[in-house]
Amino acid sequence: MDASFVEDAAAVRRAMEYYADQGWTDGLPVVPVTESYLAEFLAQTDRDPGDVLLPMPQLNRACTVRLAAINAALAGCRPEYFPVVLAAWESLAAEGYPAKGIWQSTTGTAPFVIVNGPVRERIGLNSKGNVFGSGFRANATIGRAIRLGVLNVFGLRPHELDQATQGTPAKYTFCIAENEEESPWPALHTEFGLAAPDSAVTAMVIRSCLHIEARHTRVPEQLATDIAGTISRTGALIHETISAAVVLSPEHARLFSAAGWGKSDLRQFLFDHAVRTRQELAAAGKEAVSSRTRWRLPADHPDALPLEAEDGAVRVLNSPAAVLVVVAGAGNAGVSAVVETFGPRGGPPPVTPVR
Amino acid sequence: MADGILLERAGLPAVSICTDPFALTAGAMAKAYGFPGFEYVSIPHPVASLSEAQIQARVHHMLPDLLRILGVE
Repeated sequence: MDASFVEDAAAVRRAMEYYADQGWTDGLPVVPVTESYLAEFLAQTDRDPGDVLLPMPQLNRACTVRLAAINAALAGCRPEYFPVVLAAWESLAAEGYPAKGIWQSTTGTAPFVIVNGPVRERIGLNSKGNVFGSGFRANATIGRAIRLGVLNVFGLRPHELDQATQGTPAKYTFCIAENEEESPWPALHTEFGLAAPDSAVTAMVIRSCLHIEARHTRVPEQLATDIAGTISRTGALIHETISAAVVLSPEHARLFSAAGWGKSDLRQFLFDHAVRTRQELAAAGKEAVSSRTRWRLPADHPDALPLEAEDGAVRVLNSPAAVLVVVAGAGNAGVSAVVETFGPRGGPPPVTPVR
Repeated sequence: MADGILLERAGLPAVSICTDPFALTAGAMAKAYGFPGFEYVSIPHPVASLSEAQIQARVHHMLPDLLRILGVE
């Protein structure tokens, strides 16, 4: 680094301290934003800077294109990432949970952004090794752009309007690309009406990301049973049922594919096998549901609905469509993950084209 | 907090009730609604896991505060 950079660095550092003092950060340094830098982001879209992307009527605040651009710049995005950030905001608006106030909840959820199509290559999004980890600017800053918007635009800050009891590490950033090249199946966005040459973002509200170790098996039923056991953990059951994004490593996806399974076969198996017996649920005090909220609670709770007579297995998914299947990660081991989603329990996910 | 403030603004006397750990958020929400200092009742945590008898005890304990904020003599 030459001397001229060092001189500039002092000014940059003052600007970064100013942003930190204003509370316009997630705790990490942010990039100073000037009107001319902002203009480079706004030049990436035909949309009006005043267009509303996501309203939160309960706070009387809304994220506009201009505010999304400011926070993308603060987050460290390059201007050419901005169309992906815009699509992520649109997808979250379509998903529905954020506008309902979930980011004020004690639950402590975060946005999860999945990117498909040629834009992945164009802006250098990682879909392979360490796909949930650090090291890739596009992944790191696109996820962060949304989170900084949540903090700065809506004022959903910890110890203020964000009441999360613990939160999740995904609150710093959580953006992946699908590893379409190493997937034996059609890409996520092509399952829902877009073409392979389209680029798309599917964003949703999530909390936990749980890994499955299964390097030992070549039997699809064994692997799927392992995944179903993770989906059906009682700790996840706040509501009557849950939903999940299953992120398979290429090795696991190929294991299923080689046995003749498509994504819909896996979804059906998980729907049928993500179950708990009534006794197992009762052991955790979650065998009944509330007549008011449909939250899980013990059968002797005054709000509990009467239990159905059958003693058999209780499904934790309400339909095969409550599971999304995505392929991401390196093709080097039998490791996959279940991302616990909070969004629609079935129905199509908010797949949004990148424009 | 939002419900309490909106009801008051609609002319319906209302008292918001929070548990103690929500004090910071309650204040932030009142500020977001342009009503800093909106008076509410704060009670001990938790509530969700209490028995019916314990819930009744909480209500008896908060009642004088509720009535005071409502302006009931």
